[in-house]
Amino acid sequence: MNWPQFWQYTAANALLGIVPAVVGLAISVPLGIACVRWRWLYGPVLSATSVIYAIPSLALFVVLIPSTGLGNLTVIIPLTLFSLCVLVPNVVDGLRSVPEPVRQAATAMGFGTVRRLVRVELPLAVPIVIAGLRVAVVSSISLASVSTLIGVASLGYFFIDGLQRDFSEEIYAAIVAVIVLALGCDLILVLARRLLTPWSRKQGGRATINAEGGQLLQEQAI
Amino acid sequence: MITFDSVTKRYPDGTVAVDALDLEIPAGKTVVLVGPSGCGKTTTLRMINRLIEPTEGKIFLDGQDIQQANPSTLRRGIGYVIQQTGLFPHRTIEDNIATVPLLNGWAKAKARARARELMELVGLDQGMARRYPHQLSGGQQQRVGVARALAADPPVLLMDEPFSAVDPIVRATLQDELIRLQGELHKTIVMVTHDVEEAIKVGDIVAVFRPGGHLAQVDTPEHLLGAPADDYVEGFIGFDRGIRRLSFFSANSLDLDSDVVLGENATVDEARALAGRGRPWVLVADAERRPRGWVSAADLASRPGTERLGQLPLVPVGHTFRPELDSLRVALDATVLSRTERAVAVESEGRVLGVTSYEQLRDAIRKAEQAADDELAQGAAT
Amino acid sequence: MSFFSFAWNWLNSASQWQGANGIPIRVGQHLYYTGLALLVAALIALPIGVLIGHYGRGGFIAVNLANVWRAIPTLGLLILMVKLLGFSYLTWLIPLVVLAIPPILVNAFEGVASVDRDLKDAARGMGMTDQQILRKVEIPVALPLIMLGLRTAAIFVVATATIAAVIGFGVGGLGRYILDGLATNNYGEVAGGAALVVVLALLVQFAFVGLRRLVVPAPLRDLARADS
Repeated sequence: MNWPQFWQYTAANALLGIVPAVVGLAISVPLGIACVRWRWLYGPVLSATSVIYAIPSLALFVVLIPSTGLGNLTVIIPLTLFSLCVLVPNVVDGLRSVPEPVRQAATAMGFGTVRRLVRVELPLAVPIVIAGLRVAVVSSISLASVSTLIGVASLGYFFIDGLQRDFSEEIYAAIVAVIVLALGCDLILVLARRLLTPWSRKQGGRATINAEGGQLLQEQAI
Repeated sequence: MITFDSVTKRYPDGTVAVDALDLEIPAGKTVVLVGPSGCGKTTTLRMINRLIEPTEGKIFLDGQDIQQANPSTLRRGIGYVIQQTGLFPHRTIEDNIATVPLLNGWAKAKARARARELMELVGLDQGMARRYPHQLSGGQQQRVGVARALAADPPVLLMDEPFSAVDPIVRATLQDELIRLQGELHKTIVMVTHDVEEAIKVGDIVAVFRPGGHLAQVDTPEHLLGAPADDYVEGFIGFDRGIRRLSFFSANSLDLDSDVVLGENATVDEARALAGRGRPWVLVADAERRPRGWVSAADLASRPGTERLGQLPLVPVGHTFRPELDSLRVALDATVLSRTERAVAVESEGRVLGVTSYEQLRDAIRKAEQAADDELAQGAAT
Repeated sequence: MSFFSFAWNWLNSASQWQGANGIPIRVGQHLYYTGLALLVAALIALPIGVLIGHYGRGGFIAVNLANVWRAIPTLGLLILMVKLLGFSYLTWLIPLVVLAIPPILVNAFEGVASVDRDLKDAARGMGMTDQQILRKVEIPVALPLIMLGLRTAAIFVVATATIAAVIGFGVGGLGRYILDGLATNNYGEVAGGAALVVVLALLVQFAFVGLRRLVVPAPLRDLARADS
């Protein structure tokens, strides 16, 4: 086992998985806000993201090769789009989950639209948004390993290498590494949510399970 | 002072929620808007802080057209309490109450201190300051809602069915609290409710709405009960208005009979003498002149003349009333409930002032109604 | 040259459509892998999901299972199967089924569990047995979500079937073009394969939309849409 190489590729995989989720979040928050503000926008956005989500990642990597070559960007762009599929509905649901009386009270107290969004609506949307972010990060890290098929460095390298050289240890190590990396990030996000939402009731209620179910339960708009 | 000048709210689909409303809300008074669902009372309320904008007409707050003001600035000067409270789930009680002061730029420490003052004002335990809304009961949450509305000391307080979501006992307590608060603060309060009893209890002025956004009558609760403008208002006010009106007449006007009271050490003979002068019941009081019970002429008949009244079996006094504080309605109720058809009037320490029966009540009621009707007639004339 | 021109040129050439490596064969294989895996996964996951939802236990486990599942690298799983099982149909079937189970199970569970309590109450009040409530009330009302679970699983299975060709030449499917093309630096083949994969994936989705329209009665469809 070439451990230095292994850690290097682990870091590469982490990058390929985390960057799409973060960029996806950065895009989906404004996009989600826009979809709540202009209801007609949500339908088309959902349709577009659903279409992209249905396409296998390898195919999307391949589509981008003429444009972005065989580098990290070819992997990061499709994974970012996948993250959007998960995160935009979560941002929208999160904002819509803010109880109407709370929103009304905020307006009545003199909160302007922007301030209300930042101080009241987004904080209350955090649990649902983080649920989506968990799905996005875990899926991205796992999917990133497919990048090896187009020659981009990730833990997937060890799957192929292990198969070709008949070196099972690499395969197992890489699988474990991907899972640990993904679930590690998942755990960090769970802790982040606990920290950010000290007001939440005990976890495990129906609403939380719904939020955790996340992408799996999205009603898609095609 | 808030003035509605021919205000109309018409929705795009043609529904008219409020129709050419003219209404004046005097400063420092509690005005209650009451009416059935869909009569426009809530719409009217929400036009004051511009959560809804009128289609026609103008609204003036202390002489200024509210359309000219910046909505957010306007709202920071108006407290708003709603039925579901709308407390921020992600803020502690103390930070919830401090919201508007913080919005206005106060330092955090100062705003929190103010929040604690208000918690005391509305009767919340200081220990709750750092709790979150979901940890409080419905009644407590509503108190927080009121505290939050009062935090920046706005001259105007709007309340939209604030007590409808809590159970009747809590509701009564909160209503009493509101009356007490208003006694201290003298805000201009505009409250919406569908409960006419609440309106009569809490309001200085009651505005009864008709479906379609028209005003049927705007009057004090007494006048409303005494002289409803038409069948609709009378129907809306409900049955029993004659008796309910009696809550507005003080029991002080009763002629109390104090001759019917004897001490427990008095003898049966003395009592019989009283009874002979046309008093079928004699009230027995203790050494401090607190009422102990009644004895009837019939009971006295069979007793040895020298026996002390205190040793006889007595009929319980039942309900008493305090003429200084209570209304004729309370006195009437006490009389109706009494086994002897007589109610005992006591002063603040519990000592007997006298006794009233249906005759005195009838006279007092007639006098009070006459005075009220005269006043109404005068008011109508001017 | 762009992706589209590469793909177009390759697809246009007649030879692609004939022979053992022809497009119709590969498409057929891809659909076969997908269909079989979905069927097996549904046979396993639907009953379990429905029962968990009906009895109301194990929901927490089901959802967290889904979280763990998402972390499993599909490529790694495929290759692991090669190491463990050599080259047989199970080598590709097992990973596909394993990846398809969680969405089907979680959606079935959620669909049944979130059936309105009042509805079940009314049914019980009318004298329906537990079994009957399950069959006549819970499952029909849960159908939209069950269909969604199947459709979501289809996405993952089609995607994994695309990579399955990595196992070796015994496995076909449209991924064969992509991987072979990458190995031989023939971007035309890569692009053509990818274009076909995209079309296939979208057609499968539309098929599910159509299936949903057939299977789920209109009022329920509207109800589900209103909730989203």
